[in-house]
Amino acid sequence: MKKMNLKKLATILSVLVVMIITFSFMAPTRITVKGSDTMVILSQKWAEVYMKSNPNTNIQVTGGGSGTGVSALINGSTDICNSSRKMSASEISKLKERYNTMGVEIPCAKDGITIYANAANKVHELTIKQLSLIFTGKIKNWKEVGGADADIKLYGRENSSGTYVYFKEAVVKGDYAASCQTLPGTAAVVNAVKKDALGIGYGGAAYAEGIKIIKVKKDDKSIAYAASAETIKSGQYPITRYLYMYVRNRPTGEMKKFIDWIISPDGQKYATEIGYFPVR
Amino acid sequence: MKKVGLLIMILSCVFFTNKIKAQTNEETNEKVTTVKDRVDGIDERLTTAESDLAKLKKIKFSGYILSQFENYADKSVQPNSFFSVREARFKLQYEAADGVNFVLQPDFSPGLSIKKEGAINSYIPNLSIKDAYVQLNDRWLNTFSLWAGKFNRPNYEVEQSSAVREVPERSRVIKAIYPGERGMGFKIEANPQKFPLHVQLAILNGNEGFTMKDSVGNNLTYNENTDFDNFKDIMARATYNLKVNSMLGIDFGGTYYMGKVASKSKTTLNSDYTTTSTVNLGDAINRNWWGVEMQVYLDVLGGMSLKGEYMAGKNATMGNIGASGVFQVANFQNNFSGYYAYLIKNIGKKNQFAFRLDYYDPNTDISGSDIGVKKFAGVAGKVASRTSGVSDIAYTTYNFAWHYYFNDNVRISLMYSIVQNEKVGVNPATNAGYVKTTYTNYDGTTGTNDYSSVFNQNILTLRLTTKF
Repeated sequence: MKKMNLKKLATILSVLVVMIITFSFMAPTRITVKGSDTMVILSQKWAEVYMKSNPNTNIQVTGGGSGTGVSALINGSTDICNSSRKMSASEISKLKERYNTMGVEIPCAKDGITIYANAANKVHELTIKQLSLIFTGKIKNWKEVGGADADIKLYGRENSSGTYVYFKEAVVKGDYAASCQTLPGTAAVVNAVKKDALGIGYGGAAYAEGIKIIKVKKDDKSIAYAASAETIKSGQYPITRYLYMYVRNRPTGEMKKFIDWIISPDGQKYATEIGYFPVR
Repeated sequence: MKKVGLLIMILSCVFFTNKIKAQTNEETNEKVTTVKDRVDGIDERLTTAESDLAKLKKIKFSGYILSQFENYADKSVQPNSFFSVREARFKLQYEAADGVNFVLQPDFSPGLSIKKEGAINSYIPNLSIKDAYVQLNDRWLNTFSLWAGKFNRPNYEVEQSSAVREVPERSRVIKAIYPGERGMGFKIEANPQKFPLHVQLAILNGNEGFTMKDSVGNNLTYNENTDFDNFKDIMARATYNLKVNSMLGIDFGGTYYMGKVASKSKTTLNSDYTTTSTVNLGDAINRNWWGVEMQVYLDVLGGMSLKGEYMAGKNATMGNIGASGVFQVANFQNNFSGYYAYLIKNIGKKNQFAFRLDYYDPNTDISGSDIGVKKFAGVAGKVASRTSGVSDIAYTTYNFAWHYYFNDNVRISLMYSIVQNEKVGVNPATNAGYVKTTYTNYDGTTGTNDYSSVFNQNILTLRLTTKF
């Protein structure tokens, strides 16, 4: 009797083990992606295309800003963090503290930070220095940079945004003017500038629709360029940055497959399609 | 006639329709104006709310509570099994302006004192201020920061918060040389943006956490906000973060501590219990040590790290000149060494295993067999004698820990520490160790800890860490 029970138990356990293993392979893989608002539309496109050819993979993409994405990566609530800036030393320290890794950085696209102005604005180009003076509030009137005699209205991102951080470090090189209105996304900046004849803002190239793009030049003597695949690849456009994906550990399984596809020529063509630029 | 009537009717209709239209337009315009006014009002309120919110965003609250159950195998620890709140911290950060941060961190844990062999071995006050400093960051190079107030001393294990530390307590050597962990004074930090070097230079009172005696041997009232003397301690630490590739990172660095304390005696005894030197009251007695550290991070089937630090140098405790007619007690300068080494492995996203080996020898001048035997005979009629003892015994501790991260806010930890004392010699006359201590059990019987053998001092800790 005991032998029978043991046999039954062993059979049930074997069936259970086989079922668990089978279901674990059958169960759809879920990957969460969180972070940069600049990268949301690009990331959503990648997820959408990838899920079509990999129906067992469920990829959820949300924004919130690069800072929010990095925090989510550290607290374990996202698998991939999208960031339009590099992770800071203190953020890497937190990752080391909790997961004992430094995180894996994957450059996945290039972006030219674009200067948005209202379609009616008569200013066509600005130097990096002028942009710095405008966003620090030292140049307050459009006439100081060749425009109409009217106050400049500044629009920017919140400090959790990677674009905010990158623009501050690469262009503003100081504190943003207190009058700079912070908005919760690049689309909101574009909308604000679209409605405000005196507005100026910054953000990813892919969002620049229905507004005027102001060309940027390194200094007075340089030629002004607009962000394009050519000017970014050649290094002529002065406000160029990488867009990154960060993961806690070396990616494996479905996550590795997804990331490998993103940086493949097939995945990179969607970066170009959305309005960004390929990594290579 | 009929035609005229029809014309009048049509004209009247057109007139009245236009009038109605005009009225409708007027009403619409009025409504638009009302809606616009309301939107403007909401916009204004939103701007005010945003401005208020921006001010609130400058304030950050964080904190944690360590609730635990501990069981000490050492029966001289009384009580040896209890629940406690090890720490209850609340941290307030306020960014007054760009680059200006205020930090205030009180500890609300209920008072805790653990007695070992009849004396207080560990004491935590009811309410204490752990951090109180202002941090000024340089806005031009984004490299330097100046800290002023009370803050952690620059050391890897000291700066690691108890809420994230992988074992229950800091290493024995760290607790010995940095009691209370914090220091009062100023610190300059350099973190170059484009170079992974981190430099810290602090000038501190140096008395933090120490018990000092006055000239006749009474404990000085502990007043942390002032110093016991006019000497200041200088502490420097530099670390470099080397990223070999995305799977391997090595952080390494060194520390130097240069401290001084005013002599309260006219004699200083070295830790060999033989050499003495004559000093004047108020002369500087050095407390100097150095350390080297390394943290290696490896991404092998999940995160893994190996971390360690070695420290060695000279520490000191003050004697006293003694009341009239009483022998003076010599200052005591001890050569010490110690180290700790961690192995931490993350298992999946939720689990973590940790092991730490830590060693502290408070007196490297005499071996275990000399402890309890080596003696400074004193100077007849002048300086009191002193025999080596418990405070000279080295300890090795093996710490094992398993952590389960329920979520980002809750960690459950089961930890076990195997504590081993250095063996002292056996006195042939008594057939017992040269160092032994006695204590009274709860049933009134007398217990003995004989340091000639490794007796059970292991500690089991079950801890719940909750943070926000």
